[in-house]
Amino acid sequence: MDSREQPAPDRPAGEGGAREMGERLDQAGHSAEHAWSRTRERFTDVRDTVDLRGRVERNPYGTLAAALGVGYVLGGGLFTPLTGRIVGLGLRIGLRLAVLPLLTDEIATIAESLRDGATGRRREAAPGDTESDKPT
Amino acid sequence: MEIAHEIEETAREIGARVRPQIENAKRRISSMNEQVTDYIKENPGKCVLGAIALGFVIGKIARR
Repeated sequence: MDSREQPAPDRPAGEGGAREMGERLDQAGHSAEHAWSRTRERFTDVRDTVDLRGRVERNPYGTLAAALGVGYVLGGGLFTPLTGRIVGLGLRIGLRLAVLPLLTDEIATIAESLRDGATGRRREAAPGDTESDKPT
Repeated sequence: MEIAHEIEETAREIGARVRPQIENAKRRISSMNEQVTDYIKENPGKCVLGAIALGFVIGKIARR
């Protein structure tokens, strides 16, 4: 790597310099080839890991939505009021979907117990006893 | 009784009139979905890059 290296005294300076230059060029060529092949390998690895075609094949809309999200984040839209609104809406819908079945179950149980209570009271009441039907 | 019968008849008529339109719309939407899906599958890189660009623009607009 030392470019100030002196040529050997027993051979002409031009010949040694040319040979050295040729060797260096050869080495540079090899290094470039090696780097290129390694880059290509890495690129292939990344492509295999991402597997864009497979992903798109399996779930085209999901992949596009994910790409849209990546672009949105890259565009700096993550910490904005719009994100807050979208997240809030999603949470609200999710909560509603999760809570609604529980609520309907509870209401059904309450209605059932009320109905059972009313039926029991009617059964307890004697046929001639009108006072027992009145709410207390 | 007569009114109930009339209402039922009207509902049936409306149903018969609307059903083909609904079927047609369903068929068109299904065909459109197929076309879009095929296009995405044929050009995955272009579509993904386009989606990223669109998201980027939306993010920029939201940031303002």
